[in-house]
Amino acid sequence: MRRLFAFAFATLLSVGAAQADRLDDIKKDGVLRVASFDSNPPFGFVEPATKQIAGLDVDFAQAIADRIGVKLDVRPTNPASRIPLLTSGKVDLVLANFTITEERAKQLDFSIPYFASGQQFLAKKGTLSSPDQLNGLRIGADKGTVNEIVLRRDFPKATVVAYDDTPFAFTALRNGNVQAITQDGPKLVGLLAKVPDRQNYEIPPFSISSDYIGVGIPKGETRLRNLVNETLRDLGKSGKAAVIYDRWFGPNTEQPLPRLFRIGEHD
Amino acid sequence: MNLAVVTDNLGYLLVGAWPDGPIGGLALTLILSGLSGLVSAVLGLLLGIGLAMSAGAGRRTLVLGLGFFRAIPILMLIFWSYFLLPILFGVSVPEIGTVVTALALVGGAYLAYGVAAGIESIGSGQWAAGLALGLGRWQVLRVIVLPQALRAMAPSFLNQWTALIKDTSLAYVIDVPELSFVAAQVNNRAMVYPAEIFLFVGAVYGALCLALDRLVAVLAWGARRTSWLSRGTRA
Repeated sequence: MRRLFAFAFATLLSVGAAQADRLDDIKKDGVLRVASFDSNPPFGFVEPATKQIAGLDVDFAQAIADRIGVKLDVRPTNPASRIPLLTSGKVDLVLANFTITEERAKQLDFSIPYFASGQQFLAKKGTLSSPDQLNGLRIGADKGTVNEIVLRRDFPKATVVAYDDTPFAFTALRNGNVQAITQDGPKLVGLLAKVPDRQNYEIPPFSISSDYIGVGIPKGETRLRNLVNETLRDLGKSGKAAVIYDRWFGPNTEQPLPRLFRIGEHD
Repeated sequence: MNLAVVTDNLGYLLVGAWPDGPIGGLALTLILSGLSGLVSAVLGLLLGIGLAMSAGAGRRTLVLGLGFFRAIPILMLIFWSYFLLPILFGVSVPEIGTVVTALALVGGAYLAYGVAAGIESIGSGQWAAGLALGLGRWQVLRVIVLPQALRAMAPSFLNQWTALIKDTSLAYVIDVPELSFVAAQVNNRAMVYPAEIFLFVGAVYGALCLALDRLVAVLAWGARRTSWLSRGTRA
């Protein structure tokens, strides 16, 4: 259903692009409107103490707002409404674990990547050890994500079952409806950390794709895009990007992950 | 079962980020249901009267318009009006306004047929008697027909309002933080307790609909009693 919406939009919205300069509008309003996930820890989720959306994506959004010198206004989004929010002008930027793809780049512009992750799997111990086995398994994926598309494309004999979100996919795995679930590696590490009987599960050490995550920017807003790219490069150089990374994936977090990706290496 | 995931997040499920942020959760579900229930009742009444009292081209236009809103899925109506209006006409409708309007239009269209049927169910003898007393057509409707018809329509209003309460959850598609939306947020943070969270949400919707059912039953009983009493005193 969500994908149907996204598709209908894609066709409809490729018609007109705004001419006004968005960066000037942002400065005039004094607010940078950003769409981030509210249900995808640690990229974007509602923090229990503050009840506000927080996460890695929000930290990067805050850095961009600080650079422009305006207030940050974060509104929630789901995978399917990211593109419509941008094309209908409801937000200025999308920072929502947004994988850079050619298909999406037809409707919007992307910044340079600020995060990278690989598509991995979570399964009961002993079920899955190499990608060759995937074609014979029932695998749960989150509806409308690049993960689902890649799995269907590269492993046509695997039975893919699409779920509304990761908790439902994991419940299906726990109940035995599927034999593995797929998501971005960092998210699976975070999920596994929360499972009470985590000793029964594992994330096999292989990934089937590497995804670069970028900021979604309205098409043709060159000045805004340059500013976002400069901000990201400066965050990389000054070490602030590493601080943000460590806040969500560092050794003292729920999902410690070695930092392999550096901003500016994959421009 | 880990009910702590519900009790720990109870405040957020009930009122969302309020008072530090916009109101959400159950409170927003109540606001959305209340507003759209009220507007749909007014719309349904006006359009239903229009349907029962009009003829010819006016009636055909009305039937066509009502048909459109009865045929279109609410989810589509919310999604398209929220994202399409800014592109086509440069009008940006706020989220809550979009949801209330969509629910009220669809609910009103359904209710209109209930209202029209209620009016038509009143015997022609009542109309004839009113007209014979020298009342105009609209006076007969207001004083004689509607008070009887409205009582017959009560179950149909109740059905529509119950459906509306549950349909407020469709607001998720444009990220309005009503009850089921904030529940999904909590679910995705806790990751491993969807059964507990959504059993709770289901129970809350059940309680809401049951409470509405009881409320309408009490009101209808009160109305029957007053009308019986007033008839008694008049006799």
